[in-house]
Amino acid sequence: MIKIEQLHKSFSVKATGGKALSFKRPAKQVIKAVQGITVEAADGRITGLLGPNGAGKTTTLRMLGGLFKPDSGSITVDGLPVGQAALARMGILSDAHGLYPRLSARENIVYYGRLQGMSRDAANARAEQLADMLDLRPLLDRRTDGFSQGERMKTSLARALVHDPANIVLDEPTNGLDVLATRSLRETLRHLRSPEGGAKCIVFSTHIMQEVEQLCDRVVIVSGGRSVAEGTVEELLAQAGERRFEDAFVKLAFANKEGAAA
Amino acid sequence: MSRITHNIRSAAWVVFLKELVDATRDRRTLARILIPAVLMGPLMLLALSGLLASFEERADRREIVVAGIEHAPTLRNYLERQTYTIKEAPADYEAKLRDNKLLDPVLVVPKDFERELLEGEQPTLELVSDAANQRASAGVGTMQRLMTGFGRERASLQLALRGVPSALLQPVDVQERDLASPQARASRLTGIVPMFIMMAVLYGAMTAALDSTAGERERGSLEPLMMNPVKPIATVVGKWGAVALLGMAVALLADLSFVPAQWLIQSDSLQAMFSFGAREVVAFLLLQLPLAAGVGALLMALAIRSKTFKEAQASSALVMTVVGMAPMVTMFNPGGEAAWYLWLPGLAQNTLMMEVLKGETPTLWRLAQPALVGLALTAVCLWDVARSMRSAVAR
Repeated sequence: MIKIEQLHKSFSVKATGGKALSFKRPAKQVIKAVQGITVEAADGRITGLLGPNGAGKTTTLRMLGGLFKPDSGSITVDGLPVGQAALARMGILSDAHGLYPRLSARENIVYYGRLQGMSRDAANARAEQLADMLDLRPLLDRRTDGFSQGERMKTSLARALVHDPANIVLDEPTNGLDVLATRSLRETLRHLRSPEGGAKCIVFSTHIMQEVEQLCDRVVIVSGGRSVAEGTVEELLAQAGERRFEDAFVKLAFANKEGAAA
Repeated sequence: MSRITHNIRSAAWVVFLKELVDATRDRRTLARILIPAVLMGPLMLLALSGLLASFEERADRREIVVAGIEHAPTLRNYLERQTYTIKEAPADYEAKLRDNKLLDPVLVVPKDFERELLEGEQPTLELVSDAANQRASAGVGTMQRLMTGFGRERASLQLALRGVPSALLQPVDVQERDLASPQARASRLTGIVPMFIMMAVLYGAMTAALDSTAGERERGSLEPLMMNPVKPIATVVGKWGAVALLGMAVALLADLSFVPAQWLIQSDSLQAMFSFGAREVVAFLLLQLPLAAGVGALLMALAIRSKTFKEAQASSALVMTVVGMAPMVTMFNPGGEAAWYLWLPGLAQNTLMMEVLKGETPTLWRLAQPALVGLALTAVCLWDVARSMRSAVAR
């Protein structure tokens, strides 16, 4: 169960000066990345965070992962505030999910298991279990150096799930995956949602409509740093009065400011 | 509280082991660090000993290069009695000296030498060398002593003829007494050894420090790493442990490489003076501890604050140059050791290692100063890395 309420975050970034070669210190600009995002993700459900690029999805998930603090608003995971206890209850596949190329897939997974406080044996056993679930068996003892995108993604997912967390957070997991890999990821997520798979609370951010339509029980549409609409796919279609989900999304996401995605 | 400290310790240990495995699997990089670290010092030592041996050989050869010896039968007689072999100087000896082709100084005898000598007119002898020609100018001293000997012999003969005791010519008896032990004398030449060991520490620590901070971010593995329920300080301490250990490991190899290297030294006197045994190996290694710890932490702090791996490399190159070149201070400041030497990483290690090479044992307080500096540097830098690790992800 993940609850995000009225989250706000702004950054100051350096603007580039006017001239190409200028030694003046560029002025600072304040960017409001997140200005009012509310998400409630229940157990046994897949909650989709749907929004265009730059909507504030990754920033929100980074705050959920404790990388920086929100300016205002609250985040709780199973009732716990963001912190070590909350992190132990989450498996996060973040925007950047680099592996260690000189370690094997198994070593990558076991490393995170150990950091989650598991014993070496337990982490190893879990790595094998996940390898079976994610079809990683033949890769398990190979260095991740030459892995394909899909293989990397699977390994990263296994790494995020090594401690069997109750809450799973995935930031655009299908980026760069082919059809087969996307399908198998979908299967895996459905399994994890089911009671046999542990009835996990799954939060899933994406900008791809298809994924949301096929997978999500609930959808939160995020645009310009705000959560602008929320409900099941059917509810959102009804709310927008559209028949195609894509039309509904565009209508809901860009209702206030036509086309101003960022 | 104790559970938390236990968690920090076990997490740091997990990170430490992973970083070690990761670093040692990078064979190509390791080879590029280890080969120069292990070979450079001994090769320099060999070259130096070769040079020294050629000096010694020349001293044994007892040869003297003279232009115009035919004008000075008395001098020839004297030189031959001193068992010197006289070599005729080539006609273009000046050009050859300048071009480093003639490696001995030349004694130039004027045409009227013999006549002037007999008539007591004080003839002039020229000692020609070139200050830029190191080996030729090194021979000037010997030649000068030889000529002084000739002059003294002539003078005492003249006095003896007049019935004056020759001791009158030498109212004072001067004798040299060198206080330096043989090792101390050799340390003037073996002063390069500490520098190579320090460079080994820096090279060993640098790649690991960069890879585990800036490299980790560039690979995109820092973000998921920071999302584990581990205190940043535990991660940082684990990484730092691996960095410092790798620095020490490379230093150990460089250190050990001087043991067999000394058997290959050609110069007998250098070999007799340069003793590099178990005592030196252990002392050198222990002296590197504060350097490996402090500079390892400093490199990590600089790297985590850099925006890119490239920027991190630039700043670490700066650290390497400053610390690695610190021993040069002693060259520009020949007035002896200043109190602040021991507070400067790099210079402190160099100073203490030289002390060990001279066969002396540094006092506890002298050892404590660089240790304190290393400890403080480590603490400040690690605290800083732990603080900025999370925000580094999003930069």
